[in-house]
Amino acid sequence: MEILGLWLAGFFTLSLFSFLYKDNPFYGLAEHVFAGLSAGYEVGLVYHSVILQQLVDPISQHWVNATAGDHPGFHIMKIGFLLFAGALGVLMFTRFFPKASWISRYPLAFVMGNTAGIYLMSELHGRLIPQIAGTFVNLLNPLNLIIFFGVLTTLIYFYFSKEHTGLLGGTARVGIWFIMIAFGAHFGYTVMGRISLLIGQVQFILIDWLKLIKPG
Amino acid sequence: MGFWQRVSQLDRRWIYLAVALAVIFPLLVPMKMKLGITPEARQLYEAIEALPDSSVVMLTFDYYPSTVAETRPMSIAALHQMFRKNLKVITMTTIPLGGPSIADRTMREMAELYHKTYGVDYVNLGFKANYTAVLLGMGSSIESIYPSDQYGTPLAKLPLMQTVKNYDQISFIFIVADNGIVDNWISIVNAQFSKPMGAGVTAVMAPKFYSYVQAKQMTGLLGGMKGAAEYEMLVNKPAMALIGMDSQSMAHLLIIGFVIAGNVAYFMTRKKKESNG
Repeated sequence: MEILGLWLAGFFTLSLFSFLYKDNPFYGLAEHVFAGLSAGYEVGLVYHSVILQQLVDPISQHWVNATAGDHPGFHIMKIGFLLFAGALGVLMFTRFFPKASWISRYPLAFVMGNTAGIYLMSELHGRLIPQIAGTFVNLLNPLNLIIFFGVLTTLIYFYFSKEHTGLLGGTARVGIWFIMIAFGAHFGYTVMGRISLLIGQVQFILIDWLKLIKPG
Repeated sequence: MGFWQRVSQLDRRWIYLAVALAVIFPLLVPMKMKLGITPEARQLYEAIEALPDSSVVMLTFDYYPSTVAETRPMSIAALHQMFRKNLKVITMTTIPLGGPSIADRTMREMAELYHKTYGVDYVNLGFKANYTAVLLGMGSSIESIYPSDQYGTPLAKLPLMQTVKNYDQISFIFIVADNGIVDNWISIVNAQFSKPMGAGVTAVMAPKFYSYVQAKQMTGLLGGMKGAAEYEMLVNKPAMALIGMDSQSMAHLLIIGFVIAGNVAYFMTRKKKESNG
């Protein structure tokens, strides 16, 4: 079974690479198999890890506890919360029926409210404040000086309430240089990332599949 | 048609072939190019080395199979260090496609290598949807988020999970990710629960996360296959990432050559067009 899996993976890898020469039925087959498998796998996984584990199982457990007389009020309340959340989830499916699709806005409102509440705090305390604090550095160190001026000039570049002329314009131009250097770093890392993915697949073909090379 | 004209109109399939050869050749004939270790990788390694024996660490498998070339070597190298140091490892994933199976396979292989027992030395929590709720909820109770592990065993039945109730009992979080989940680990778990953490990320993401190291929100960072290779060197277990680095270097040299040739061809052909009127 493992050998079959290995050969299938090898076949689909080559099928996908064949697109580099030109579009062909092997590439189409690999693409469609991937899309179908991904969708099926994800549905099964979410059904087990969310619907069963986080809705059906807890409801049954609380029901067992409630009927056994162990703080029944608490367990009934928990069941109520779970059923409410489950019902909100079901309401999302009203989007498939044009006349009732407006109902789906209610569960979406819950999601948006929750998300906004969680992210408001986490973005403020987890990103904005610590990142600003990260620029309060010892300016006698030349590297810290680069960080300080990099942040300052880049922020000035994004200040659009005044025309970029004179000192403001000059500082903004320095900001552009910092931005360009950052783009260059991102581009370099992106090339590295893409090449790494190719190396990974070539390693799979030569080492795992065809066993032409022995690692180590 | 002149030479530079031909260069600027070169069929891209020749470039693909050249890149393929640049990647394949060093795998067949290793060149063992020298590789340095960045301070960020060393800091991450030393943070884990400094943990007392039997500390509990969390290792995440937040990546898809498409990026295993960069990320899986990081997980493996991290597990070499963690199991060698006799740390207790809790793993989880927020990635539905492939995350659970990569975590399962990697943990089984590494546990077998170090003779570790499931439930005692390590636990695989598996996948759970909605990562924001997962990261936040584990701060109060891991069991409320993961009533059972990857294999359906209730957490109450796993000896390691008897002592680990939430982040308070976890000493360090090592995130291996190929997506923006690292932001959430930082902004939710580090900021709200003050958990020390480090990350191994794909090269595409790495530049963004250096700012977290600089702001001391992360202890260290591994960027792409290079970061994975550095960690393999630090734990003294050379493997797939180090093998791939020769190919990486050759491909980069080739791409630099292409960038220079492309630009020269552009300027030469433009000059010719201008002189022709």
